[in-house]
Amino acid sequence: MLVYELLVIMHIIGTVLGVGAATFAEIHYTRFNTDDIITDDEKKTLSITYTVMRTGLFLLVISGFGLLLYMRLTEYTDLLLSQTFWAKMTVVGILVGNALLLQARIMPLAVGAAVSLTSWYTALVLGSLRDTNASYFEILIYYAGAVVIVGGVLRLIRAHFHGPKNI
Amino acid sequence: MTPFLAALLVTHVIGGVIAIGIHNVALMHLLKKAPNYVFISRIAWAAAALYLLSWATSAYYYVTYYGTAVKPRILAGTLPAGHIFFMETKEHIFLVLPFLAISIALCASYLRTTPDDALRKSTAFLTLIALGVGAATAAAGIIVSGSV
Repeated sequence: MLVYELLVIMHIIGTVLGVGAATFAEIHYTRFNTDDIITDDEKKTLSITYTVMRTGLFLLVISGFGLLLYMRLTEYTDLLLSQTFWAKMTVVGILVGNALLLQARIMPLAVGAAVSLTSWYTALVLGSLRDTNASYFEILIYYAGAVVIVGGVLRLIRAHFHGPKNI
Repeated sequence: MTPFLAALLVTHVIGGVIAIGIHNVALMHLLKKAPNYVFISRIAWAAAALYLLSWATSAYYYVTYYGTAVKPRILAGTLPAGHIFFMETKEHIFLVLPFLAISIALCASYLRTTPDDALRKSTAFLTLIALGVGAATAAAGIIVSGSV
């Protein structure tokens, strides 16, 4: 049982770091970009925030696979085919893909930020709920809707801080 | 399952997942205009070593335990596709991964001494393929485990 508890704690720490860093990445970016200039110090702060986010993702994925292994070894495999679980896996996959697209500068920053923030919170909510009555596609439709809403809210917040033309 | 076989299964999964993660990091760096090839080549060789370790441990587990103890249970269960489709696909696609990883490591090592933008882009594309194959293999592994 000790291994299971350690994995759960590691999973929670990974989620907390990831969700917290994703939130503060948005807050910092919005705050730092009010004058349309990101100084070296601000770049360093953003860089540290992204490092914390990646650390959270690493802990989340490793402990997640550790928990899957634990379930396999203890023959508790029902969750592995749960639609909620697969929706969560898909969202984490989108999170990783989004980071790659942002790095390759294929994904616009405004869209990427909305996807990243929504994905982290969706993973948190799905992980907390464990299982729901909603199907895989229903969850992903809710998720897509949430991305659009979060994108719109972020746009309004940025417009409030430094004018719509500079978003 | 004996503790030794459980340890092999754990090594197979964790080794494979870390290797996938390393390829993700390598790809993030390869997408930069001026990447640190020393760092990329080091982690690319680590990924290749982990895939070989994951490959070897899974092979022993498959031959000595899976075929006789797990496969019949999956075939008799509610989701026989867990073996018929997912394991059969996984075990063949997984054969490609260590060679993809070695190719990426060789390209990264070459780029250390001879930076070449076209090769950087090709290596990034190859790493993307390895990442996709790795993620699909991991997903198939979860489905196989869920089918037991």
